[in-house]
Amino acid sequence: MNVQPIGASEARDHIEMVDRILAESHQRLCTGGEYFIVWGLAAALITVTFQLVDTARIPAGALWAVPFVLALSALFSVARGYATRRVLQRSSLVQREFFNVLWLTLGLAFVANVAAFRLFPGIASAAVWNLAEAVVLLYIGMHGNRRAQIAGVVVVASLVAANFAPQDVAGYVLAAGMLAGYAGFGLSELLVGD
Amino acid sequence: MDELLLSKIRLGAVAELLNYDWIAFSELARALDASNGNLGAHLAKLVEAGYVDEEKSFANRRPLTRYRLTPRGRAAFAAHVAQLQSLLGAAK
Repeated sequence: MNVQPIGASEARDHIEMVDRILAESHQRLCTGGEYFIVWGLAAALITVTFQLVDTARIPAGALWAVPFVLALSALFSVARGYATRRVLQRSSLVQREFFNVLWLTLGLAFVANVAAFRLFPGIASAAVWNLAEAVVLLYIGMHGNRRAQIAGVVVVASLVAANFAPQDVAGYVLAAGMLAGYAGFGLSELLVGD
Repeated sequence: MDELLLSKIRLGAVAELLNYDWIAFSELARALDASNGNLGAHLAKLVEAGYVDEEKSFANRRPLTRYRLTPRGRAAFAAHVAQLQSLLGAAK
């Protein structure tokens, strides 16, 4: 390959262009607020259902709603993800890394709930979801999203508060954390946007 | 220096792709303020050299072409920019 030397002024021009492009690289995570609203509402609904069944306020048969709520939420996520991907013009490396963290965290929480239900019965399984949500939010927060940082702290605080709350209200405390932290963050993303 | 990256538009395309998993052709053309024909010719050279991967698909029944930087392209970019910087350093 023949090398065409360039002068210092052209080299400076090229370096300045590269610097400008890299400075404008949009590294903020585009999280999609609607996912957080749907999963925050679903997780809170499921947790409240478990709490109500646990305290015999509603019949145990109500737990059959749980797989339907999960399936609907998953269906929404897949359909929305597919639609978004079709119109997206660029996807950052940090975004790809975020999705890896998201699926790993929620996948492990799902395994803990489904395959380790003896270790994490009832409210303990809700606490696992709560923890997973906190990891996701704080990860987004690490990439400069202040609202995600606050939401992550809210979710963690609800986890600690639920630990010290009476057993018949612990589920409601966890659900409040999911609503305020997870769904609340999603709502703020939709309202404020980029 | 890397002759392929001496072109400002090719260097710009690689720099745009550096922090992204992929970018659509239309978005690259907008970001670089290049015409479709001009950018297409430059990207074809980068693809041929193995610096960039091209992926063609359809979105809403319209063709969608996306590009991503290869490890080879990333290494070439880093080496080229280092040489540009050393050239600038020597000129001072």
